[in-house]
Amino acid sequence: MTAPALSTQALIAGYEPDLPIVRGVDLSVAQGELLVLLGPNGAGKSTLVKAIAGVVPVHFGSIMLGERDITRVAAHRKIGEGLAFVPQTENIFATLTIHENLQLAAAVLPKKLRVEKIAALYRRFPDLATKPTRLAGALSGGQRQMLAVARALIVDPSVLILDEPSAGLSPKIVAEVFAMLKEINAGGGTVILVEQNVKAALAIASRAVILVEGKIRHEGEASSLLGDPLIARLYLGTSQPQKAEQP
Amino acid sequence: MNPQFLMDGLIAGAMIGLGAIGVTLTYSILRFANFAHGELLAWGAYLALAVSGALGLFSTTLTRPIGLFSFGWSLPLAAIIAIVLTGLLALAVDGMLFGRLRARGGAVIILVMASFGASLALRSLLEFIFTSKPAYYTKALQIAVQIGGGLRATPDQLLSLGVALAAVIAIHLMMTRTDIGRSMRAVSENSALAGIAGVDVRKVIRVVWFVGAALACIAGIMTGLLVQIRPYLGHDLLLPLFAAAILGGIGSVPGAMIAGLIVGLSEAAAVQLVGAEWRAAVSFVILVAVLLLRPRGLFGRAA
Repeated sequence: MTAPALSTQALIAGYEPDLPIVRGVDLSVAQGELLVLLGPNGAGKSTLVKAIAGVVPVHFGSIMLGERDITRVAAHRKIGEGLAFVPQTENIFATLTIHENLQLAAAVLPKKLRVEKIAALYRRFPDLATKPTRLAGALSGGQRQMLAVARALIVDPSVLILDEPSAGLSPKIVAEVFAMLKEINAGGGTVILVEQNVKAALAIASRAVILVEGKIRHEGEASSLLGDPLIARLYLGTSQPQKAEQP
Repeated sequence: MNPQFLMDGLIAGAMIGLGAIGVTLTYSILRFANFAHGELLAWGAYLALAVSGALGLFSTTLTRPIGLFSFGWSLPLAAIIAIVLTGLLALAVDGMLFGRLRARGGAVIILVMASFGASLALRSLLEFIFTSKPAYYTKALQIAVQIGGGLRATPDQLLSLGVALAAVIAIHLMMTRTDIGRSMRAVSENSALAGIAGVDVRKVIRVVWFVGAALACIAGIMTGLLVQIRPYLGHDLLLPLFAAAILGGIGSVPGAMIAGLIVGLSEAAAVQLVGAEWRAAVSFVILVAVLLLRPRGLFGRAA
């Protein structure tokens, strides 16, 4: 049996040691899975992924990336280990150009690979290639999200984590972003997604985990959660069972 | 109006500009105004004096003036060593003081007050070691030569301007064309995101201290060579340094240099137009005017 792409064991994390927000989470994400983390506001979804990314202190428990313990690995080394994180807001460097954003991310790669990797990303995201010298701060919301994801993908991460990539975007752009995540997942990438946009997230996810008050309250196949009226009412902010929608 | 003020202003401005680059870099990346930065100029000047004196003891040929200049090879060699030592001094101060306060999550005001303390301690230590009597790298006299347009300059002054220009171009290229420069700009904008993107923020902070201190050392040596070496050499430049850093726009290397030249030229013009006693007021007026009218400076980004 292969090790999960990412797992946490009894993880306790939060900004202050005596005020844990994540309170004992055992999470397991299989290789090639697209997992969505759901839950009400303040449930600890963002704190959980930030703790995994090394941005929020871990007070207890462990984080495994494949078979490697990365609990105490510094945040800036995690990208080199194959764990990429895209924060919810301010996820690009607005004062750097598009190309500089990608060059910065590519700096963790061996010099020989950098130019080729950036060229490959431009082929994958042609919108970014049209004017690479443009300041990233001048991009639209959707383009910014694209650049943030491109920055994260430059190392071919084994796990890609995104914190609410749909926040502040129009429905059309959200559909584009989610289609991009689906495509990354279809290519074999393991993706963990924190989302408030429940319907759209469940439509692309293979599995969902519901967090409440810093603990996992429920987990299951995305399609089964959509059809469960109790889950829908209690945790997903909807009163009727949902039908999966294609983004 | 005597056009010579242009040359005086350019030379003073180049020294201010080099110092202001260090101020602007530490301000934009460490997010506090380091009032001990002036002391790095003075320490740089004295370290070069000490090393140059020691080299002169080993070989008198090293003290023989090079061509038209007033100094021998001992000074450029000492300058290289002093740049490294001043950089290490800045790293030591950060390790002992500022780094510890940062690790504790100290508020900006605590860092600023600590920098006042560090400034006092560093300056007093200089006075203790070297006394407050002015010192000179060389006793050789230089005659200013005509350089056109009614301007006169000594070879030392022209060399200093050239070195300042080369230093600014080198730092600008480093900031815009290299991995470490991009990392510095990224940390300046968002240090948390820089960490997530793989930038070692602690390494960037060390580079910022070292680069800022190296430029301060060059500015200190220039001041020592063209004026004199005193423990208060950097402290007296503090207001012009901050005026230039803020006028140039926090974080902008070319901005700090251009603003340094503006401050230097304004001071020199004020000396001619209203009198030497008003020289110090110029930086203050510029500082207040920029903060009131255009707080982001000439080349700074909007908040």
